[in-house]
Amino acid sequence: MIENGFNRRNFLKVLGWGGATVALSGCGNTSVEDGREFVTSYAETADYIIPSIGTYFNSTCAQCDAGCGIMGRVREGRVLKLEGNPESPINNGKMCGLGQAGVQAHYNPDRIREPLLRNGDRGEAITWEKALELINEKVGSVNPENVAFLTGVVSGHVKALLNNYLDALGSGHHYVYEAVAPSVVRASNKKAYGVEMPRLSMDKAKVIVSFGADFLGAWVSPVHFSQQYARFRKPDNGERGVLVQVESKMTLTGANADRWLAIRPGTEGILALGLINSLAAAGLPVSEDVAAAVGEYTSDRVSKDTGVSAEHIAKLAALLKERSPSLVIAGSAAEGYAHGSQNAAAIALLNQVLGNVGQTVEAPSSVPFPQMAPSTGNSFALQSLSDDMAQDKVKVLFSYGANPVFTAPAFFKLKENLKKVPFKVVFAHYMDETAVEADLVLPLNSAMEDWATLMPEYIAEGAQLNIRQPLMEKMYPGTLGVGDILLAMLKQRRPDEYNDYEDFYSYLRSAMVSNKDALGGADKDDDTFWETALSHGVVKLVGEPVNMTGSMSAAALVVPAPFAEDATYPLHLIPAVSASMRDGRNANEPWLQESPDPLTTIVWDSWVEMHPKTAAKLGIVEGDIVEVASKSGAIKAQAYLFPGIHPDVVSVPLGYGHEAMGRYAKGVGSNAFSILDPVFDNETGELAMHETRVKVTKAGQRVIIVKDEGPAGGSQMGRRIALRIPSNKVNLSEEV
Amino acid sequence: MYSFLRLSVLLVGLVVSAGSYAVKAAQPLTTADDLGPNVEQPFEFPHDRHAGDAADGGMEINCMYCHTYARRSIVAGIPPVQKCVGCHQNIESVREAPRIKKLFEYWDAKKAIPWKKVHDLPDFVRFNHERHIQRFVFAQGKPVQEACGYCHGDVKKMTVARRQKPLSMGWCRSCHMKDHRIDATSTKTSQGPNDCWQCHK
Ligand code: SF4
Repeated sequence: MIENGFNRRNFLKVLGWGGATVALSGCGNTSVEDGREFVTSYAETADYIIPSIGTYFNSTCAQCDAGCGIMGRVREGRVLKLEGNPESPINNGKMCGLGQAGVQAHYNPDRIREPLLRNGDRGEAITWEKALELINEKVGSVNPENVAFLTGVVSGHVKALLNNYLDALGSGHHYVYEAVAPSVVRASNKKAYGVEMPRLSMDKAKVIVSFGADFLGAWVSPVHFSQQYARFRKPDNGERGVLVQVESKMTLTGANADRWLAIRPGTEGILALGLINSLAAAGLPVSEDVAAAVGEYTSDRVSKDTGVSAEHIAKLAALLKERSPSLVIAGSAAEGYAHGSQNAAAIALLNQVLGNVGQTVEAPSSVPFPQMAPSTGNSFALQSLSDDMAQDKVKVLFSYGANPVFTAPAFFKLKENLKKVPFKVVFAHYMDETAVEADLVLPLNSAMEDWATLMPEYIAEGAQLNIRQPLMEKMYPGTLGVGDILLAMLKQRRPDEYNDYEDFYSYLRSAMVSNKDALGGADKDDDTFWETALSHGVVKLVGEPVNMTGSMSAAALVVPAPFAEDATYPLHLIPAVSASMRDGRNANEPWLQESPDPLTTIVWDSWVEMHPKTAAKLGIVEGDIVEVASKSGAIKAQAYLFPGIHPDVVSVPLGYGHEAMGRYAKGVGSNAFSILDPVFDNETGELAMHETRVKVTKAGQRVIIVKDEGPAGGSQMGRRIALRIPSNKVNLSEEV
Repeated sequence: MYSFLRLSVLLVGLVVSAGSYAVKAAQPLTTADDLGPNVEQPFEFPHDRHAGDAADGGMEINCMYCHTYARRSIVAGIPPVQKCVGCHQNIESVREAPRIKKLFEYWDAKKAIPWKKVHDLPDFVRFNHERHIQRFVFAQGKPVQEACGYCHGDVKKMTVARRQKPLSMGWCRSCHMKDHRIDATSTKTSQGPNDCWQCHK
């Protein structure tokens, strides 16, 4: 604090003197800095490399599993900025903010730089030879049945190598885990349409009704869907499409919708059946069994159950009847309940009744190389692994592309169960929560230093194989690519087959080149084929549209009545998946912490989103630190009042609250995964992410929320610069 | 309290200014104001031998043969070692000369030669080689050595390059204020840009 008498005037005087002295000493000379810095040239370089001018190389984004093609601008051997690869039909030259932050994963100061072996609570740096020898020894000394791999989504040649390794061991224990994934929807799509992930042609639809699918923000392939959405909104000819978003907590997609309907959590299926009933009543032809199944879902009852007004239901049904084809999407908000499968089935039935299947819900293409097709994950896999570990069935565990200690709810007791595994190998970029528990940590190359091929789950046109190639030299000599590690491990098991390959690159190249006929390179020589593949960044494959042979039985469809009130835990917790934070795997990239949440504009922290009415009842104002307690645990975070949420719901974003990982992630916010209740989907056994009931109490402190929007009730000194009305005066569900 | 604070801040200011005078005084004065210091390089590169006039034993190689980026980029760049070796692997006569041996040592190790910058503007100045070369060499048709020489002096007479001009802002401006013909044939002229942000961006 500057003391009382040292006022502004004096301060300026001093500043003036200081400035003058600096000016005096600085004048009269150039500050040319000859002879101090190096101007290092290349030893060898290609003609197209010009210092200070960027060159672009194509690769594949690794920030989420959508698999957008990227081009990295490389200058003087450094990758500087990423753009979308125009040749990839997934993203057509665009990319998202999360993808942009990929360079911060690469240059991150918290990356692990050499293999670490546990010694007490410390990790001791060891050589790769020693690390691989140790793996060989440990794997060799146990029954193959007791070796398990836990991975995130894997595809392409890395998946092929992984499977070959498991094959060589004779162990089938590969658990594919995704903390946030549309796994219930996949299962119900499989039943209803015969495929897990049909192609959604938004651009052909005239109305989209999305039950909580945040397809513009974080769902499946957001960059692709955003482009489709743009065409849906502004078709070349025809009417502007209408988007209706039904969800209990507004997502980015909800904020873009023409009508946002706040629905009572878990009643999405009831609304879908109610809509079928209204459509049938309005004369849409439906089969008898469907009519019988939905007969009791009268508008009144549905309105009472869902909290959506009868008027809105009627409007929505009229809209759907009038404008065909439409598209109905089941998103994470619909599937996250114990009856998530039924919700999703009801929504699929609505698509069927509307005649959308085959129109806007289309068959994806088959994949010519099934061994490279993506293995998608779910939370059930982690549950089974956790159980197996608890029963001492796992002696050597490899973990790659997942951070289960962070993303598993506390009731999984994953940390304790992990302790029962005598040898845990974690492939990691950072010392994240799982790596901290490991016995051996293997540092990975960043996605900008690595070779891989990838096949995304959702491909827009035909089939394609994405290429990931290094955009620059490795930052640290002590890291390796996952393909290289797997290859080295395979050499231990099947030396005859793999010893010829010096590294993963040579394996990849020869695997691609030897299959070039099937990869569209029949007319090219090996080098040309390979160079072409690398320069395009994608290899387009020819696949046949698969048959959509699902069956929907309306008779078996029972959607339970809405939740009963719970006096102790009166509110529903919605763990929100935000566009930049997702499941928290990228939380150590400061741009993502710094970029404001699109709806609340909050940065660098978690928050508890609640309806102003709910907050008023609990006496909570913005910035109050509140405790959100479920049966399984409690977290604290700042309260944020927002009208875009159902009054029975509070929402906490996922991905925050790391206890390890790095300087930008650690200690920022609270981990909403940890307090999820053990409730599972009836059919698939998936963790029902939206089933947790909570109570919210004030914890006593109050903070000023760090956010981009102006302070609530902030003053413009009477100047009326930006006119506004207080958010609690807006009823978003009534606005349009 | 406050007057004490004020005094101390003033004193700090004075000390800083005296200090920076002292640093300046300690700097060796070069013979001419404009001449930069001698910069020690990993090994001597004889510019005179490569670019000098034939009459003086030079080979009259165009500056842009080696500094090939000057016409295409904001930096003139140092040629890749590959380029030096491209010629020198065929020049047996000097193959055993100490400098060339040094060159091949770097080449065999596939290492870049750590040359020191001789003309290094402060980081807040952006000088664009491409613009100047395009205007003076390609539009006006000036001889390359003359155009480069405006800023770099008569490099063809030097071995290791040494700064010959002050490269101060006033000096840049002195040329930017002159009328320059817009191309070889036209009588129209224009001046160099006068906006701060042309160089300070
Ligand atoms: S959606 Fe964004 S983060 Fe995901 S792959 Fe595409 S660009 Fe990368």
